[in-house]
Amino acid sequence: MELAWYALLGLFFAGYLVLGGYDYGVGLLLARSADADRRRAALNAVGPFFLGNEVWLVAAVGILFGAFPVLEGELLAGCYPAVVGALTGVILVTVGVQLRSRPDSRWARAGWDRVIVVGSLLAALGWGIVLAALLQGVPLRADGHVAGVTHLFTPFAAAAGLAVVTLVAAHGAAFLTLRMPAAEGDRLRPLARRLVVAALAAITAATVVGLFSDRVRAAAQRPVVGVLLAVLLVAALLAAWTALGRGRAGVAFAATATALALPVVLVGATLWPYVLVSTVEPGASLTVADAAASAPTLRLLGWLALPLLPALLGFQAMCWWIFRGRTDGRAPVYW
Amino acid sequence: MDTLLLARLQFAASASVHFLFVAVTLGLVTLLVGLQTAWVVTGNPRYERLTRFWGQLYVINYVLGIATGIVMEFQFGLNWSGLSRYVGNVFGAPLAIETLVAFFLESTFLGMWIFGWHRLRRGVHLALLYGVALTAYASAFWIMVANSWLQHPVGYEVRDGVAHLTDFSALLTNPALWMALGHVVSAAMLTGGLLMAAVSAWHLSRRTPDHALFRTSLRIGVVTAALAITFVQGFGFAQFGPVGAVQPTKFSTNSPDADALVADWTARFGPGDYLPPVLANVGLGFMILIGFGLGLLWLLLPLLWRDWIIRLRFPLWLLMLALPLPFVALILGWIAREVGRQPWVAYGLLPVDQAVSPISPWLMATSLAGFTLLLGSLAVTNWVLMARHAARGAADPALGRPPTQPPADDTRPEPAFT
Repeated sequence: MELAWYALLGLFFAGYLVLGGYDYGVGLLLARSADADRRRAALNAVGPFFLGNEVWLVAAVGILFGAFPVLEGELLAGCYPAVVGALTGVILVTVGVQLRSRPDSRWARAGWDRVIVVGSLLAALGWGIVLAALLQGVPLRADGHVAGVTHLFTPFAAAAGLAVVTLVAAHGAAFLTLRMPAAEGDRLRPLARRLVVAALAAITAATVVGLFSDRVRAAAQRPVVGVLLAVLLVAALLAAWTALGRGRAGVAFAATATALALPVVLVGATLWPYVLVSTVEPGASLTVADAAASAPTLRLLGWLALPLLPALLGFQAMCWWIFRGRTDGRAPVYW
Repeated sequence: MDTLLLARLQFAASASVHFLFVAVTLGLVTLLVGLQTAWVVTGNPRYERLTRFWGQLYVINYVLGIATGIVMEFQFGLNWSGLSRYVGNVFGAPLAIETLVAFFLESTFLGMWIFGWHRLRRGVHLALLYGVALTAYASAFWIMVANSWLQHPVGYEVRDGVAHLTDFSALLTNPALWMALGHVVSAAMLTGGLLMAAVSAWHLSRRTPDHALFRTSLRIGVVTAALAITFVQGFGFAQFGPVGAVQPTKFSTNSPDADALVADWTARFGPGDYLPPVLANVGLGFMILIGFGLGLLWLLLPLLWRDWIIRLRFPLWLLMLALPLPFVALILGWIAREVGRQPWVAYGLLPVDQAVSPISPWLMATSLAGFTLLLGSLAVTNWVLMARHAARGAADPALGRPPTQPPADDTRPEPAFT
C-alpha cells in the first residue's frame, strides 16, 4: 500500500520534472534570444501545455501531504531555503508566462521575459538541491525534526542543482526542435546538442562529487543501484545527442525526458527502504512506511483518487493529442 | 522576533491575497459558462464577444489565483510541519483529493480552453469550460472540507499523540461545513457579478463603443449580484447557530459554554490564553454592515426597466463605488473565521505553537517579507493589467483572437510562423 503511493508520488514528481522541465528549459533559453518575436514563438510552442504541466507539481505535493504527511512537513521545512527558492521560481514562471503578453509595450514584455528566465533558473536549481538533500541525508534528530538548514550547503548539492539546470535547458531545447516549425527547429539543433553536452558534463561532475561525498556514501542504502541509474542517465543523454545529430527530434525529446525522470527514480531506489536518512542519529531515519499516513487514510485516498487517475492522465493525453505536431500559422497565440 | 507570530502573519497575508483572486475566479467562471452556453445555443455573435471579453479578464485574474494557491499548498509543509505530523492523516486527505481531482483537472481544462478557440468544435470547447467550472467548485468544496475540519475536528481518534482517520463521512457532514460553503460560494457570485456590473457601468458612463454589449453584461451583473447578496446574508446568518455551537469561544467569549470549554482546555493543555483576539469580531461587525449595505442592490433591479439604470447615470456610479466592498467583506469574513479559532490550528486539538515548524525566526522573517512583497506586487500588477484590459473594451481581446488575424497590439506581424 505504502509502496504504491510512494510510486505514485514518484510518478507525479518525475512527471513534473519532465513536463515542467521543458517549460523551465524554454524559459532559460529566452535569455539567449534578442528577438522578441522568437521569444514569443518559443513560449507559444509550450502554449496549450503550460497550465497542464505545472499542476503535476501541485498534484505531487498533494499526494505528499495526503499520503506522506510526516515526510511533507520534515522535507519542506527541513530544506526551507531550497524549497522557498524553487517555489519562488515556480511563481515567477507561472505569472511571467501568463502575463508577459498582456502589456502592449515591447519593453514591458522583455521585462517579463527576464522574470521568466530568473524564475526558471530558481525552480531548476531549487528542485536539484532538494533531490541532492535527500540523497546526502539530513540532520534528522531523535525528536523527528530536521536541525537547521546549513546541511544544504554542500558541494554535492551545488553540483546537483547545476546539473538539473543544464538538464532542463537541454530538455527545453529538445522540446523546441520537436515543436517549432521545421526550419526553426533545425536552426536550434546545434544549440540543443551543445546543451546536451553541457548536461553530460554537469551530470558526470555531480556523480563524481557524490561518489566522493561521505554523506552520500553513508546515506545510500543501495549504492550499486544508484551508480547504475546514473550510468543510465548518461546513456539517455548520449542517445539524445546522437538523435539530435540525425535529426530525430522525437527520439531526442524522449531521451531528455527520460534523463529528467531518472533522478527521481535514482533518489527513491538508492535510499529505499528509507526516504529521509538521518546524518546525526541513525535511529531517527525515516522509512517510507514510517512516513506514510495510517492505513484508513491511504485506503480512503485509494478509493477516492485512484479511480480518477485514468481520467487525470486521459485529459492530459487529450491535451497532448489535440495540440500535437509542430506549431504553424493556425496555432493560437496567447502567451 | 517570534517564529510563531511571523508564520501566522505569513499565512494571513498569503491567504488574504488568495481569497481576493479565487472569489473572482469562481464568480466569473459561473457567468462565463452562461455566456458561452448562450453563444453556442443561439449563435448570437454578441455572446461570443462577451465570452471573449469577460474570459480575458477571468484568465488574467486566474494567474494570481493559481500562484497564491501554490504558495498556500507549500506553506503547510514549510511553516506548519506540526500540522502534517499530528493531524496530517486526517487533514491531508481532503487537500490531496482537492489537488488531484480539482486543481489538476481545472488547469488542464483551462489550458485547452484558452488555446482551443477556432481549433476545437464548439461543443467540445464549451464542454471544457464546463469542466473548468465544475472542478473550480469541487476545489472550493474540498478546501472548505479541510478548513471546516480545522474549525471543528471530527471523524478521528488520537493514538500516541497523532490523529488517525476513523470516519470520513463525518468530515462531509461537519456542522462547520455546509452553511460556510454556501456563504463562500454566494460571496464569490456576488463579487463576480458586481465586478461585471461595475466594469460595464464604467463603459456605459463613459459612452464607449459597444453600448449594447455592456448593457447586456450590466444587466447580468446586477441581477447576479442582487440574487447573490441575499444568499450571502442567508448563509451568513445561518452559520451563527451551528458554528457557535461547535466553537463556543468564537463569537462570545464569556458565555457559560465558552467558560466551561476554557476550563476543560486548561485542565488538558495547561494554563494559557484560550480566547481569540477581539480583532476577529470587530471585523465581523464591519462585514455585516457591508452585507446589509450591498442588500440595497435590490433597489437597482426596478431601474433595469427601460434602462433607467443607465439613463439616470448615478446608479452606474454607485455600482463602481461599491466594487471594493465585497473584497473588503471577504477579507473581514475570513479573519472572523480564522482568527476566531485562535489559539488553535485544529480547534481544541492542536494549538498553533505545537504546529509551527522549528525554523529560526530570521529565516521565517525573510520568507514572510519576501513572499509578502512578491505576492503583493504581483497582485497589484495583476489588477493594473485587469483594469487596463477592462478599460480597453471588447474590440479585440487577445483571448479567442482568430490565428490568421495579426494581433492589433503588435507593430508588425509574427514572423516565426512562416
